[in-house]
Amino acid sequence: MASAGIDEVRAWILGRHPERDAIAPEENLIESRLVDSLSFVELVYAIEGASGVEIDFDTIDIQDFQTLSAIEKAFFATVRIA
Amino acid sequence: MLDGRVGIDLVPFGRVRQLTAGGDGAALRRMLSEAEIALCRPESGWDIAGVAGRLAAKEAVFKTLRVPGQVLPWLGIEILKDGGGWPVVRLTGRAAQLARDAGIEQVDVSITHDEPFAVAVAFGVGTPVRHAARPPRA
Repeated sequence: MASAGIDEVRAWILGRHPERDAIAPEENLIESRLVDSLSFVELVYAIEGASGVEIDFDTIDIQDFQTLSAIEKAFFATVRIA
Repeated sequence: MLDGRVGIDLVPFGRVRQLTAGGDGAALRRMLSEAEIALCRPESGWDIAGVAGRLAAKEAVFKTLRVPGQVLPWLGIEILKDGGGWPVVRLTGRAAQLARDAGIEQVDVSITHDEPFAVAVAFGVGTPVRHAARPPRA
């Protein structure tokens, strides 16, 4: 089940692309041009707002931002207690 | 003949207006250093053309470095002004390291803007590291 945070990020991206009504979890956001270098900064800002995590631009791993699935794993992972 | 690399980029004014709309330009403050903000945010508000030109120039400079899989180091590529008002590039931190790794010793830029776009061209001088051509897809 997707976290509320990643739903917020998905909604933010879709809000920028009215021609789209869905984004698959594994769709590459950069290669599909849903996110470009300018909007990448805004995306980071949106993830920070949704996750409460501060992201240091100088230590960013671009792999963590390639897909919604990668973003969820990097910033919204749920800790499961057995 | 000078050895180097060229980079070019275009930024629509509309994208900058989005970045400044309805807030304090928080995202822009992650893209522009204090020195750059001082140059393109007079008391009357953001100078949209000035911001668009700077962002285009930063991207053009970054393209001369040809580094795959890296996030543009916005604050490490500063577009400032010399005594004559011409744009000058200052590279610091990760951006400076990426330039050294790429064999780029100095970068010059030229910027133009006219509603609705700003365009910038950068030329990185040095002994650029050449990447092997990708083999054609089978």
